[in-house]
Amino acid sequence: MIAAPVAGAAPTLSVEVNGAPDTLPAGATILDALRAAGVHLPTLCHDERLTPIGVCRLCLVRVQGWARAVPACSTPLLDGMRIETNARDLEDARRTALTLLARRYPADGVERDPHKEFHRAILEHGLERELLQASAPGPIDRSHPYIAVDMSRCIDCYRCVRICDEVQGQFVWHVRDRGLDTQIVPDGPSLFESSCVGCGACVDTCPTGALDDAARSRLGAASAWTNTTCPYCGVGCEMSVGARDGRIVAVKPVLDAPVNKGHLCVKGRYAFEFVGADDRVLDPMIRTGGQWRCTSWDEALTFAAARLGDLVARHGPDSVGVLGSARATNEENYLAQKFARVVLGTNNVDCCARVCHAPSAAALKHSLGTGLGTNSFDDIEIARTILVCGANPTENHPVVGARIKQAVRRGAALIVVDPRRIELASLATCHLAVRPGTNVPLLNAMAHAILAKDLVDRRFLEARVDGVETFARSVEAWTPERAAVVCGVDAELIRRAARLYATRAPAMSIHGLGLTEHVQGTDGVTLLINLALLTGNIGKPGTGINPLRGQNNVQGAAHMGCEPNTLPGAASPKDGRAVFEQAWKREIPSTHGLHLLHMMDAALDGRFNALWTIGYDVLLTNANASETVRAMRALDLVIVQDLFLTETAREVGSVFFPACSSLEKDGTFMNAERRIQRVRQVVRPLGQSRPDWRIICDLARAMGHGELFDFREPEAIWNEVRALCEGARGMSYARLDRGGLQWPCPSEDHPGTSILHRDSFAAGPRAVLHGVAYQPSRESTGPEYPFVLNTGRSLYQFNAGTMTGRTPNNALRPSDLLDMCPDDADRLGLSEGDTARVISRYGSAVLPVRLNAGVQPGQLFATFHTPSIFLNSTTGSHRDGATGTPEYKVAAVRVERTA
Amino acid sequence: MCTKGIHVVFFVSSCFRGPVMIMEPLLTKYVREPNCFTLDFYLKHEGYEGLKKALALTPDQVVEMVKASGLRGRGGAGFPTGMKWQFVDKRSPNPRYIACNADESEPGTFKDHLLMERNPHLLIEGCAIACHAIGARVAYVYIRGEFFHVQRVLERAIDEAYRAGFLGRNVFGSGFDCDVYIHRGAGAYEAGEETALLESLEGKRAQPRNKPPFPAVIGLYNCPTAVNNVETLANVPLILRNGAEWFAALGPEKNGGPKLFCISGHVKRPGVYEASMTMTLRELIEGCAGGVREGRTLKAVIPGGSSVPMLMPDQLDAQASFDGVQKAGSLLGSAGLIVLDDTACMVWLAENLLHFYRHESCGKCTPCREGTDWLHKILRRIERGEGHMRDLDLLSSISGSIGGKTLCAFGDAAITPVLTTLKHFRHEYEAHIREGRCTLPASWRARHAAGAR
Repeated sequence: MIAAPVAGAAPTLSVEVNGAPDTLPAGATILDALRAAGVHLPTLCHDERLTPIGVCRLCLVRVQGWARAVPACSTPLLDGMRIETNARDLEDARRTALTLLARRYPADGVERDPHKEFHRAILEHGLERELLQASAPGPIDRSHPYIAVDMSRCIDCYRCVRICDEVQGQFVWHVRDRGLDTQIVPDGPSLFESSCVGCGACVDTCPTGALDDAARSRLGAASAWTNTTCPYCGVGCEMSVGARDGRIVAVKPVLDAPVNKGHLCVKGRYAFEFVGADDRVLDPMIRTGGQWRCTSWDEALTFAAARLGDLVARHGPDSVGVLGSARATNEENYLAQKFARVVLGTNNVDCCARVCHAPSAAALKHSLGTGLGTNSFDDIEIARTILVCGANPTENHPVVGARIKQAVRRGAALIVVDPRRIELASLATCHLAVRPGTNVPLLNAMAHAILAKDLVDRRFLEARVDGVETFARSVEAWTPERAAVVCGVDAELIRRAARLYATRAPAMSIHGLGLTEHVQGTDGVTLLINLALLTGNIGKPGTGINPLRGQNNVQGAAHMGCEPNTLPGAASPKDGRAVFEQAWKREIPSTHGLHLLHMMDAALDGRFNALWTIGYDVLLTNANASETVRAMRALDLVIVQDLFLTETAREVGSVFFPACSSLEKDGTFMNAERRIQRVRQVVRPLGQSRPDWRIICDLARAMGHGELFDFREPEAIWNEVRALCEGARGMSYARLDRGGLQWPCPSEDHPGTSILHRDSFAAGPRAVLHGVAYQPSRESTGPEYPFVLNTGRSLYQFNAGTMTGRTPNNALRPSDLLDMCPDDADRLGLSEGDTARVISRYGSAVLPVRLNAGVQPGQLFATFHTPSIFLNSTTGSHRDGATGTPEYKVAAVRVERTA
Repeated sequence: MCTKGIHVVFFVSSCFRGPVMIMEPLLTKYVREPNCFTLDFYLKHEGYEGLKKALALTPDQVVEMVKASGLRGRGGAGFPTGMKWQFVDKRSPNPRYIACNADESEPGTFKDHLLMERNPHLLIEGCAIACHAIGARVAYVYIRGEFFHVQRVLERAIDEAYRAGFLGRNVFGSGFDCDVYIHRGAGAYEAGEETALLESLEGKRAQPRNKPPFPAVIGLYNCPTAVNNVETLANVPLILRNGAEWFAALGPEKNGGPKLFCISGHVKRPGVYEASMTMTLRELIEGCAGGVREGRTLKAVIPGGSSVPMLMPDQLDAQASFDGVQKAGSLLGSAGLIVLDDTACMVWLAENLLHFYRHESCGKCTPCREGTDWLHKILRRIERGEGHMRDLDLLSSISGSIGGKTLCAFGDAAITPVLTTLKHFRHEYEAHIREGRCTLPASWRARHAAGAR
């Protein structure tokens, strides 16, 4: 990727383009000078995202005093250059080169698609008559669900090859043969059977349509484009969504987007057809006598309001609860928690951060004073060492994964802590294949190794850290040798990783659910923070503790107060109460409030009677599904607000509010690096569906609290957030429309905060190291349950599969799979594709086996994307001590072959 | 037979017939001795004395010496070797490399082949001295894919050099470390272009890079690199052994040292001839190679491999030096003299060479990839008697859009046979078009090799 221009007072270059003087900043190319001068030349091999190679030779210019003509795109601009673009021989050469390309290019392509770069160049030069009137020979490959290949239209610009190498780092496109016989081919028998990850970067850069979106022929070309933020993971890529006749037909990356810099992944770019899926629920529904029936909004709202009001009256406000949504905007989550606190009068509000990164937030808050990721994705390019702990970014956060891969290609050291040999592990300097559930001893041993060799950052410790002695005593016994026995990682490897992280500064830590979804989830994150504090890797560029948030707005949902003990802006009830009570003109309940898992416990005890779940399929995603089903069945009222009839709705729903997707509404999301970015309506909400914010306001009105929910548009809600939360004050929609801003941003002239804790910590000038004692998982393996099952996600499907499961991504990954190492499979007599039953103490699931040498013996890995497989039937009931996050990553199971 | 200082090597299998010698040959003196390629033989003939002397000097002193010797690159461009070494970026914190270009692929050129096969230690010694001069510890010899048997000779010689301590750690106890590796190409003409060679060495496709930056600054693995031809490096030990002044005096001004000339085509005695660049082209062709066959007349000479303009019979009194041939309107290039007598059809020649260039174009840049194909198609049409007069203008205009417009010099090389034959033999083209056939007697016409299509 192209590096950002160097800031500061760079010297300027004085040049002349066709006789006209101009000045440009240092670091510019001749092409920049031409563009500044308004001189347009075709640049068929050029893409801002790629290292220029100057091979199409269409942007050739002459520099006075230089012997050879040079390509503008790849030639650095020098002071005093006098550039000529319109000499006769240059024009001739340009025309000849285009004519040469036209001679073997089929004419029909140009007619069909005149806007492609090459076609534009042909038309601008009036060379239509030179085009080949017959069909050209060239391999056509229609195997991939998203990418159509027609190499008869290839003009050998190598942009596809280069973008696959330089941006995605996948190296799918190979060049075969040479000269005019050059062929661009995938690294497999077909693109579908190649190592392609479907990011679409090659399609995006292709100037001809040799590579094109397969959906174009089915859905047609877009007539209007709208920029918005991706509805999938917490990376927060900015994308441009194309619509035609009220329907989404295409997605393109936004080139100057701060997070994705012109890149997207297969989900963001291609998996958009869920929006108009056949089974989208478009009418409000009420269930009577076990049957759903469609109804009007009025009736559904009145019904829900009456039932909720009744339950609150009968059992008290703490008998009901609301779940905000990681799929909904900040504005909507703000309203959801406000509804719970103001309308219902309870702190029983939560969101799905509970089951993923609540431990990260808790540990960061406890150690550093703010429960937010400390740095930015831009630090990936600065870091010299990257520690990836319990995260699989190339599958689950692919754009960040690609940036990490490129950083490693450029020489960054990579440490991967993961039980599986994930893609990044194969590129890593050190792969610590830790036994599931033993992060705490491993990280303690790394701290031990750092302290033993005195690799700490003394000055940083003296200036900013307390509790070093106590902490050192807590890890004294955790020699790498002892940890090696517990974790299954070689002691020397632990030492090597510790040394790398401590000495090859700056070192950046990136972690995921492999660290948090354990009984010691919060403890694990605390230890990761300790490593950063010990080595001074915090508060600086290229460092920090960076949780990769799973969903587009899970960070925002929690940050907006969808947690029992958190008010908007992550304010504690103690500190924030006064401000919010004054604004809302209501007393905020003083009870602690129940989080999601406690709601389930209370329901089983008969103390909890109603749940309004917004964009959240609790039944499918909670661990230990059978217990969740029992809890949910015990409820008197379940209001489901979603796009589809989720498992929760199907099993236990009472009322269904049809919501719309983020592509049908306005608002903001907050990504993993605290960046607030605009979400914009691309198409009108389908059918009777409404944005979540409207539904919340409608229900509040139906319950007699309309005056506090009188919003006409999301901006008004956001302005209320800005008025009440100092960190959001500077982020007006007017500013956000020009680009995202990182929280906190307290005033309109504040640039946003890319790195937290620069000079002092949110809690004070000094942070404290917290020692952690190891508690083994209670999921014990033995003869009856010999395997450890680890659950997680995969590239082509997203979480519960609600969205991706309704797109052609299903062709790329049709089912959840049980990954098993070949030796274990052999012992059990299982081969690839056999169906097996996984049985735990809590339940069982049946799914196909895939042999995967990256999985260690005695361990299994499976995804939870397929509702019909329902993997969470097998996950257990153990929880993180501090936050209640379920232990999704460790379940003792056995595997049986099914008939 | 031969007159002045000439050493003749007939390139017929491995059998060399004895020539008459007046000047002492330096590079090829012993090539007919049965054991000339062994270390023992080499050591008996001043072997590795140059390296010993070089290691007693500072790198800068070696560079100065090579500069003073007037040694110019033998790969084709004739760039002063000492200056090339001086340009190698000394401020870079990265390692530096010597890359020896042994991809000898230019049509009509076969001198490096001989040197490596019969005098491999001379090259190895040259590599080691070059490493010392630029502060490198590693030299890569990028050898042409087809030179399999030559590679085996070179490998054996490198093994011998390691065993004797001329390569490896602490050479001559001087603290100088030097490794020499052979990397075999996969058979592509373009791999001989210096940046394409570096790409290929890095394991990528042999395609050229944009220059600047030049390899001296950003070369192999993005490190400063000097790329030198085999014959160039083979001359370096001579300079160290005998001094820069001695070397410079062997040739005309700025064209120091001995030179290998490859003479092929319609001559009586084709072969590699070692001579001073004070010779004229005519002396080489008529004196050494015996002139054209009986009863034939000389029609034209391509003096520097297939990529340079032709010289006519009246231009052959030019000095066979880099500057002399340039003054005559061509280039010495790789010193591959291709001699053509009156049986050669110039349209056929151009078609034949463009077939080569079309086949060897790497395909990276548009004008070369597409243009060589178009040129070849037009030439084939004319050669078959199916051309039109307007095709001649088309040939010129396409060539004009390739020349100076491509990424590397390949494009300029590829259009040269077209432009030079059009310039001197336009009437032959016109005759083909007018008559619908070649006007030379049918029995003279060259046949296409069976495998060439």
